[in-house]
Formats: sequence, structure tokens, C-alpha cells
Amino acid sequence: MIFLSVEEIVKNYDGVGALNRISLQVRKGTVKGLMGPNGAGKSTLFHLISGMERPDSGRIRFKEREITGLRSHEISRLGVGRTFQTLQVWGNMTVVENVLTGMHTRIKGDLLSSGLYLPWIKKSEETAMKEAKEILERLGLFGRWKWFASQLSYGEQRRLEIARALAAKPELLLLDEPAAGLTYPEAKQLAETFSRLKESGFTLLLIEHHMGMVMEIADEVAVLNNGELLAEGPPDVVKNDPGVIEAYMIRK
Amino acid sequence: MVDQVHKEFRKRDLLYSGALWLLSLIIPDPQLHYRREYQLRRRDLFYLLTILLLPLIWNDAHFHHLMVLAGIHGILALGLTLFLGYAGQISLGHAAFFGIGSYTTAILTTRYDISSFLAFWASGLTASFFAYLIGRPILKLKGYFLALATLGFGEIFLVLVRESPHLTGGVIGIFDIPFFSIAGFIFDTYLRQYYLIWGVLIGLVLFSKNLIRSKMGRAFLAVAASEDGASAVGIDVNGIKLGVFVMGAAFAGLAGSLFASVMSTANPDIFSLNLSVLIVMMVILGGMGNLYGPIAGAVFLTWLIDGLSRYQEYSLPIYGVILILLLIFFPDGIGTRLRVRLIYLISYWGRKRRREKVEL
Repeated sequence: MIFLSVEEIVKNYDGVGALNRISLQVRKGTVKGLMGPNGAGKSTLFHLISGMERPDSGRIRFKEREITGLRSHEISRLGVGRTFQTLQVWGNMTVVENVLTGMHTRIKGDLLSSGLYLPWIKKSEETAMKEAKEILERLGLFGRWKWFASQLSYGEQRRLEIARALAAKPELLLLDEPAAGLTYPEAKQLAETFSRLKESGFTLLLIEHHMGMVMEIADEVAVLNNGELLAEGPPDVVKNDPGVIEAYMIRK
Repeated sequence: MVDQVHKEFRKRDLLYSGALWLLSLIIPDPQLHYRREYQLRRRDLFYLLTILLLPLIWNDAHFHHLMVLAGIHGILALGLTLFLGYAGQISLGHAAFFGIGSYTTAILTTRYDISSFLAFWASGLTASFFAYLIGRPILKLKGYFLALATLGFGEIFLVLVRESPHLTGGVIGIFDIPFFSIAGFIFDTYLRQYYLIWGVLIGLVLFSKNLIRSKMGRAFLAVAASEDGASAVGIDVNGIKLGVFVMGAAFAGLAGSLFASVMSTANPDIFSLNLSVLIVMMVILGGMGNLYGPIAGAVFLTWLIDGLSRYQEYSLPIYGVILILLLIFFPDGIGTRLRVRLIYLISYWGRKRRREKVEL
């Protein structure tokens, strides 16, 4: 079943072509790797899928529903979670509050009833707290739940961002270079987390430069270069594609 | 060597821990944005008793009047701190909502003989209605542009009030607004007004406290820290901004209503840019992301203005110097930083003396 499909998408920034007629499909329950040199348009594609920016033309469908042009919080509520290349954790809140905020749409409350602290708010907040701690436990951050997010190390902040995205219970998770700047053991730990996520039924779309990691966990890989789709297919095939080797791995 | 000095017991440690204990009675904890089990702390009791007993101990009409003003400023600052301190948006037109609240009460009570209790709620609603109308277009702006747009709104409000004498009494304003009354009990002395205002303030503090400890409070902070991050987890950023703006305006409307029925008059000079800037100063001095700080800031600034009014000609420079000094030494606001600074200071004194001893 095709979960996410990007059709003929075009995006220009002031005349500079960032994406040129890109089409991609992600099937349910699979991990898709997205690779390409810097400036290839990977992050732009993520911004378009998650609704941070709008495409010039083309369509994006999620679960058979067109999501092109929806605002990003609406897309997020449909079940698309994402992390950012430049960290966007909230340093003004503690770790557990970050995760609780990730559950925003699943906790009851509005300006009036939360202010009056009506009984159902209490119940909803308490179950959310329990769940947030479970998520932190799963990502190995439980020991830090009372810390401010800004006090965490870089690798921990990366994991916190993933924890926050998971807290919204997304069906499709867009991960923008989750292993950037991590040490080798940290990246390895992260890869294990991703394979566990895949087993528990998440669909992942992953931008990554760590070749080893992508080859290990991805079911399918797409390679972008200069806004064009260079190759798409199983990791082994893509790895040996002459175009990819020339454009990405050995550029002389 | 240094470690040994650390472990050594000294008499002054008693003094430090005593001072810290005293401070912990007064200064609030860093506030959490999730709910914990409720327990009445000594600190809360201390606050309540202070508010309750202070006007009885210091039984002086001028003091009561000043604290009434401080309480009204406190409500204004509380409303703005949700918008400025939590959601991280700037508004320089907050006085306009205060004015809308005042005029609503003034008009309803003097022309239509509506009871001041009903007018109180109507003022809050009117102010939030106008905030909704204004907020929808201008809250898309950010930073300086938002500051300018809200400032413009404040000025437009003033012009409208001055130029429509039939409705608002023009430059002269509206007089003889009846005192606030509930079921025949009239708040006509400064002491009674003091309890009225601070009672409302405590109610609003509890409301805001619940709010910031729920998902809404966390959403405010998320919007302040990273709008992209917030919308990625499904928070409607524009909706949250509008909601906080309307909420802050409702607080200002309630404060305006109380102001009108306490002072018995409403005239346009009060609701100028000066007041808007003053409220922002209260929030900044009191501390961003803190509920008690802005109230402390409101009390402090109200007292400062009153104290300086005796030296009319020098008041502006003195005022400026004090504010600059405060902003240099307490950039995050007094309420947020005082605890940290004092602990730091105390530990620094300790270390300095020890270092001198070691070097000798």
C-alpha cells in the first residue's frame, strides 16, 4: 500500500530550481532512505511534505488524501511527524515537558477549561505524563526527565527531538539527518532505535549521510542530485548505480 | 586542599543556610509546566497572610490607594506576561484594552444603569472581542513589526476616544462612575477596594497558574521557543498566539473595569503609550516566563513612580537610571533571577574569602 506519494513536485527559490519534477513513493511499514550531496533538495522536499513551504506545482498525497497546501499543523495532525536538521527542541522547557508538548493534540484542554482545571483535564494530563515517561524510558532519556532541554548534550537533544515526534503518535516519521554530529556509538544506538520503530509498524522517511546506517536499515533508497531524482531502488542496486557513484560518492 | 576547606564546618555556613531558608520562604520555585499534586506550602501561606494583613498593619489611606493601583497594574502585567513572557510576542498596545474595559464599564453603568458586577464581566468580554478583531490580522507579524502594529492600534484607540465625545465624553472623559458593588455591598473605601482588587488578582493568578501548567501553557512556551517545532507537533501557532492575545486583553479589560469603578472616572490621558510601556517594563523587570514576577514588578514600579512624583523635575532622569541599572543587573527580570543571583553571590563571597585564606 502506498502511504505517501509525491507527484511531479517543482519548487523554485527566486528562480533557483531546488526541486524539479520529483516523484517518490513510500510504502506502509517500510524505511526509505533519502540521500544526496548538500544542496540536492532533500530538506526542501521535507519542508514541502510537512507543509512548512508550498510547492510551485505538483501534488503530495498521504494515505490517499491530498495534503498539498495544507498548513503544517494540519498535516501533523493527520499523522506526519518530523524532526529538523537544525535542532528545534525547546530549551525553555524540561525534557518531560518537551515530550508532553509533543502530545499536544492528544491531551484535552483549551484556554478556558485548562485555566479552570476541570476534572477531565486532570485525568488527561496524568495519563499523558505516564506515557511521556514511558517514551523517555524507551529512548534512554528517563534519567534526565527533570533537566532543562538546553542542558542536554547534542546527541541527547537529537534523541529528545525524536521522542517528541514519537509522542504525537505519527504514522509517518520524517527524520532530517538524525545522526548528524553524533559519535559512532551514538549513531549505532540510533540505528537500533529506528529498526525497533520499524518493527513496531512505523513508516520512516530518512535523510542521512551515514552510508552504513542507510544501507543497514533502509528498504529502499532514493538519491537526489541538483533537484533531480538520480536513482531509486533497493540499497544494493543504488549503491552500484554508476550515476550515483559519480555524483555522490566519488566526485572528482 | 580546596576540597578540605569545603568540608570544614564554619559558623557562617549557618548564616548562609539561614539566609537561603528565609529566601526560599519568599521567592517562588522555578515554575513547572506540568501538574504536581497540590500541597499548600508555607510560601503560599506567607503570601496570603501578607496580602491579607498588610493594609491592617500599615493602616494609611495613601498606602491603601497605592496598593489598589499596584493591584490593577498587577492584573495588567499578569495578562501581558502570558503574551510576552510565555508566548514570546510583544505588544505595545495593551493599555488600549485597559481603556476599552474602562469605557465599557463607564458607559454601561452611567448611561444604562447596569450593575457594576455585570459591567465587570461585560468589560472583559468587550476587550477580548476587540482583541480578536485586531489580533487576527496583526498577529501574523513578528518582532518589531508586531510591536509597531500594536503601538499603532493603541494610538488609533486614543484618537477614536478623543474624537467621539458622544460616546466617550471626548478629552474630558466620563465622571461619576458608581463604585463597585456586589449584592448591595459597596466598595467605597480604599481598604475595601484593596481587598476587592487583590482578591480578583489572586483569582486570576490561580487561573493563569492552571493554564501554564496545562497543555496550553506548554504550547505558549513552544511557540516562543520555536514556531517550526511547535507546528511540527500539531500546535496551531497562529491560533495559540491569537488565544493568548485575547486572554491577555480580557485580563486588561477586567482591570480597566475595576479601575473605572475604583477611580470613578475614565479619561483618555490614562490609556496612553506611557501606560503600555510601563506594563511592558513591569513584565520585563519582574521576569519573563514567571507569574509572580510581573506582579512584584507592578508593585515596585507603582511605588517608584509615586516616590518620584515628589521630585517632579528630576523624576524622568532618576526613573531612567534606575531602570537601566535594573536591566543591567537583572536582565532576565528580578523574579526569575533573584534566587539564582543571590545563591551565586553567597557562594561567591564564600569562595572569595576562602581563596584569600589559601593564598596567604
